[in-house]
Amino acid sequence: MRPMRERMDLFLGLSEVLTGFGRFQLLGTAMAGDYLRTLDVALPAGVLDELLAAYEQLPEEAAREAAVAAQILGEPKLGPVARNLILLWYCGTWTALPDNWRAAYGVSLLDITRVISSESYQAGLQWEAVGAHPAGSRQQGFGAWSLAPEGSSL
Amino acid sequence: MSGDERYDAVIVGAGVAGALIAKRLTLAGFRVLVLEAGPATAASYEGYSNHLERFYEASGKGPESAWPPAANAPQPDTADLRQNNGYFVQNGPDLYGSSYTRLQGGSTLHWLGVSLRMLPDDFKLRSRYGVGRDWPLSYDDIEPFYRKAEEEIGVSADVADQKYHGLTFADGYDYPMQRVPLSYSDRKLAAAVDGLQVALDEAPVALKVRSYPAARNSTPRGSYRPLGAVDMREDGKAVERFFGQRCAGNTSCTPICPIQAKYNAGKTLAQADRNKLQVFAQAVASKIDIDTVTGEVQSVTYQRYQGISRSVYRAKARVYVLAAHAVENAKLMLASGLTGPKEMVGKTLMDHPALYAWGLAPETIGAFRGPLSTAGIEELRAGAFRAKHAAFRFDIGNDGWRATTGAPDTAVADAVAKNLFGRKLRDQLSSTLSRQVRFSLAIEQLPEPGNCVSIDPRYLDPLGNPRPVISYKIGEYTLAGMAAATKVYRQIFQRAGIEDFSDKSGSGWFPSVQYGEVTYRYHGMGHFSGTHAMGGDSSSSVVDSYQRSWNHRNLYLAGSGSFPTMGTSNPTLTLSALAIRTAERLISELTA
Repeated sequence: MRPMRERMDLFLGLSEVLTGFGRFQLLGTAMAGDYLRTLDVALPAGVLDELLAAYEQLPEEAAREAAVAAQILGEPKLGPVARNLILLWYCGTWTALPDNWRAAYGVSLLDITRVISSESYQAGLQWEAVGAHPAGSRQQGFGAWSLAPEGSSL
Repeated sequence: MSGDERYDAVIVGAGVAGALIAKRLTLAGFRVLVLEAGPATAASYEGYSNHLERFYEASGKGPESAWPPAANAPQPDTADLRQNNGYFVQNGPDLYGSSYTRLQGGSTLHWLGVSLRMLPDDFKLRSRYGVGRDWPLSYDDIEPFYRKAEEEIGVSADVADQKYHGLTFADGYDYPMQRVPLSYSDRKLAAAVDGLQVALDEAPVALKVRSYPAARNSTPRGSYRPLGAVDMREDGKAVERFFGQRCAGNTSCTPICPIQAKYNAGKTLAQADRNKLQVFAQAVASKIDIDTVTGEVQSVTYQRYQGISRSVYRAKARVYVLAAHAVENAKLMLASGLTGPKEMVGKTLMDHPALYAWGLAPETIGAFRGPLSTAGIEELRAGAFRAKHAAFRFDIGNDGWRATTGAPDTAVADAVAKNLFGRKLRDQLSSTLSRQVRFSLAIEQLPEPGNCVSIDPRYLDPLGNPRPVISYKIGEYTLAGMAAATKVYRQIFQRAGIEDFSDKSGSGWFPSVQYGEVTYRYHGMGHFSGTHAMGGDSSSSVVDSYQRSWNHRNLYLAGSGSFPTMGTSNPTLTLSALAIRTAERLISELTA
């Protein structure tokens, strides 16, 4: 296995490409370490490193988007894992891999649908994308819901 | 059996009705025992925080997700409707779609906080429109108690917004706190649809997006002091925590307000005189023991559970109050062989069957921000049409399609399944989720004897107490109201340029009813009522206007079970007003 720092660097790079959020925001969730560990325990040995290697081999800029679709999301083994990684960042949940994937590539005991933690729920990027906040957390204070949202016309 | 300590009053249930009565009686110097079937895990600040953590970690974030059931005091869960395999034994033909919580604090722990008064017309539906039945109380009789209830539970509203359909307020009165600020999306919708004329079968009315009274802390008026989070310690001391004195926009009234800026019955219990009050949690009342000669209650038999231990006790008092919930009150009466005049106990169960309407606004409305709703449309709560079909009101959500489709999680999952990723994924979620609009159309339901709670010895819970058996049918009057409400919401959506997604996506598991060619998917509002209805004489009702049992004169049945009809108001404010009226009556009776 690669050194931890290198794996984290690749993991964050891959996560940036998949989520559309920059490294600064991803680190700001304080969840990166937990999510890397989540993948390590929810996937059969070696799968995450294959995904990181596929990310490393992506071409630069112009050709990159098409390559992500073809070489990662469209790849039978890596595609479902990459989609799960997006859900992990956006919703804070791990979603059990499809049965046919497990039959083909192996089963991990921790590959179960679940909210990773109280913190992961609150750190979900979906709330950021909506321009809101996690329901039940990170309150903005009295009357903030009256403020015009970004992109509004009133 | 053991225990024979005498109290002035035994109250079954530590929800809002029981807490309001317990507070008033103890402050008047009377000794009160409260028996709560569920645990007291939400009473301390630490315990409440554990429930919040439970919500964060829950996979499904439905109304019950923060409040798991106790095995020995089971409760319904709306998720049970998918398989119809929950606490309720549902005989149909339609599914009763609501839930409640058996816990110290009761269902106010996860209510929305809507605190509308009933309309003057709602108290005389039979004499005005020839349907349903009249209350033995008029609006003017109950108005002073509405004011007291608004003070007790802390309601925020401006009287200036609330004078419609004949609602009157005492001279100089205004609510204890100013109205909760309207959300940006309310203002946006109002700009588009205020003044829209709709006609049901008579003169058109102009609609208005209107702030509704809410039991959520806002800017106080005069000397009123909003009460935030409370912390009931093990030693019986209640300590105020200095936050939650204003709603802070957690967008989570249901299932749990993290800061207790929204009222829950624990706040009222914390204000009782602790020297006069004994609360036993995990104490399930299982039988009301009656003196067969006088018909009076002699004692209440209850079971206490702790770990694997079980003990049975009897509590004795001068008066007894059942405040356990419309269903649990009826269940306990029936389990004790008390069926009431003309066997009316458990009959005429009602709810507000409700439809969701949801769509996408033409531009961002800032969805998923603020209390789950802050405004409604109230114009169709009254009108001559009530002779023919149900009245209704609209609740205008601030929480996108969360309740209807499970957004935002489901929207993310759908987009990812289509292989969207990166900036495109993020932009697509930003541009759609923030435009999500949701209405709840809550429809009035009439009292029908066939809609009822009963018991059956074949269906028992782990302590051997009966599970509620529910027979329920949504009648023509309500179905026609659903059709009318659907027509109105479509006009609103059209005027506001909202693209309708109600039939296009999600919520396929909600129960459905057929009306003509149309299938309506509905859900419950948690507004259980009518199971021990009040009336003017013992031939047509279970209790009198003070909620006193006609057949058992030292027994009171408090709560929305006492409602003869529902109107279109969420029931908590009215049942609170009735509870306060009952408490005052009890004080004068116990004093005499």
